Amino acid sequence: MKKLLSTAMALGLTTGAAVAQDEVTLQLQWVTQSQFAGYYVALENGYYDAENLDVTILPGGPDIAPPQVLAGGGADVMLNWMPSALAARERGLPVVNIAQPFVRSGLMLTCWGDVGIAEPADLAGHTVAHWFFGNEYPFLSWMSQLGIPTDGSEGGVTLLQAGFNVDPLLQRQADCISTMTYNEYWQIIDAGISPDELVTFKYEDYGVATLEDGIWALEENLSDPAFVDKMTRFVRASMQGWAWAAENPDDAAMIVLDYDETGAQTEEHQLRMMGEIALLVEGGDGSLDPEAYARTVATLLAGGSDPVISAEPEGAFTNAITEAALGN
Amino acid sequence: MSALVGQNGLSKWAFPAAGAGLIALASMAEPRLGVVLAVWLGAWALNILLSRYAEAAAIRLLVPVIFGLTLLAIWEVTVRLYEISPIILPAPSQIAQAFAANTDVLWADFKQTILKGALSGYLMGCGLAFLTALAVDRSNFLQRGLLPVGNFIAALPIVGTAPILVMWFGFGWQSKAAVVVAMVFFPMLVNTVSGLKSTGAMQRDLMHTYAASYGQSLIKLRLMNALPFIFNGLKICTTLALIGAIVAEFFGSPTVGMGFRIKIEVGRLAMDMVWAEITVAALAGSGFYGLMALIEKRLTFWHPSQRRH
Repeated sequence: MKKLLSTAMALGLTTGAAVAQDEVTLQLQWVTQSQFAGYYVALENGYYDAENLDVTILPGGPDIAPPQVLAGGGADVMLNWMPSALAARERGLPVVNIAQPFVRSGLMLTCWGDVGIAEPADLAGHTVAHWFFGNEYPFLSWMSQLGIPTDGSEGGVTLLQAGFNVDPLLQRQADCISTMTYNEYWQIIDAGISPDELVTFKYEDYGVATLEDGIWALEENLSDPAFVDKMTRFVRASMQGWAWAAENPDDAAMIVLDYDETGAQTEEHQLRMMGEIALLVEGGDGSLDPEAYARTVATLLAGGSDPVISAEPEGAFTNAITEAALGN
Repeated sequence: MSALVGQNGLSKWAFPAAGAGLIALASMAEPRLGVVLAVWLGAWALNILLSRYAEAAAIRLLVPVIFGLTLLAIWEVTVRLYEISPIILPAPSQIAQAFAANTDVLWADFKQTILKGALSGYLMGCGLAFLTALAVDRSNFLQRGLLPVGNFIAALPIVGTAPILVMWFGFGWQSKAAVVVAMVFFPMLVNTVSGLKSTGAMQRDLMHTYAASYGQSLIKLRLMNALPFIFNGLKICTTLALIGAIVAEFFGSPTVGMGFRIKIEVGRLAMDMVWAEITVAALAGSGFYGLMALIEKRLTFWHPSQRRH
């Protein structure tokens, strides 16, 4: 009887799949690259199909703010760095973290070795090129914790708003530049600079790392059981994709390349990126670690005169979906 | 006779009746739409009444002001009634608040982008184009050589030139001024060149019979005749200069400037601040253009286009 029932249910599921899959639109926070391998793998390997989901992945870009896409109804769920998502939350867009595939931060500050910077405190008086658009928060928090002004005043860091490339460092317009372990750092190396010539500070090593690449949805949607169910299946399939990507990094990178419609990514770069990304998701099952969350919030609150968020956020994350997704 | 009165009565009351009917209809379907319509049609009716029954200069000024205020009121009412998220579209009152609370930031951005970047680039670009136009006018060789080059520079997309110029001239206002120079050079050049050609053969012959030198005929005849063209170029370039200076900041800047602010505030979802910067840009652009138009009026009073009808 039980078997019959489950067969019937399975049948119902498959016919349901043929009739109408639940649609989910995911907004990435950057262009198609191995940073998002887990989602492309889940799409390619049919993990989303198996959960009866019809997932559309929207690539981002330099001028796309995922929270704005979410607010405008352009996507059901987004990937976002926690600083930017919590800032959006405080600005009146109630987004909630429903899963956190990345357990480590890949953010670094890379400096020339010959400009007299041996430790973060030496940054005072130097020029730092950084991306903005919501990505500057971890750096601003870090500097304010070190007591180094970033507003251009005497004895502080001179900040430059740079594009998403490493030219300002290569041209020596800046002494330091923000890099990701999986992307910009390798652009410097590819430009023919030896790692010995560089000094690199990882945010993880200085206790100022903030969580990156979480999965966020709108709070108002989470009161709808049907949406929660859809997200539970989405998170489960996505984490399946991440597990596969971490085990098969080379194949995952090739899947990402197939989905890169711009054709801008190279195989070598994506393979290397996938290797670095695997280190950031390693050991995570998708659930948000409360300690990492607390550290992120503390870092952001400690932003000195211009903190990223002014009050401890409440209800900014939920474990309900990951518990349901990983429980079965 | 009575039919005529009836017709008059109809035309007099047709508009308010139709308006009231429309508002009532909309309110039944969607009360909030009714309110928006009421604001719009009410202001419209007010303007019609004012323009029909009063002719004073003050009224002529009041009508467009009411029109502008109506647009703002509709915007405000719509945003509030439909509870549009401030991330999508903030209400004018929110923008005004952000403007008032951040005047120091806006002023610093204005100085950086408009006064340093746009204005210096405008002066350099237009000045250079003017001198080039004189040279082009003098020499047929240069005309055939330089005009295509000017055209070529104008055809370069700003998204391509800006990052390169930032790399060449650094992150400060100098690179923004360079972008502005590249943007304003060609329109100014073409306008000045055609202006210098605008004198007729008879006029030039007359100067010749006076034994006027090249310089004399240039200053007393040809430049005077070219002024309407030159001011055309100058006016077009005011807006181009603002666009160039603001957009160039997207590709690298210090942590001050209107383009920089717009970019980071979009990232922070502080759209009220973005709109405040847009307001500054719009005011600065209109003011700059208006100033040029005013100078033009003073200098080309003799031209038919400046005659008052």
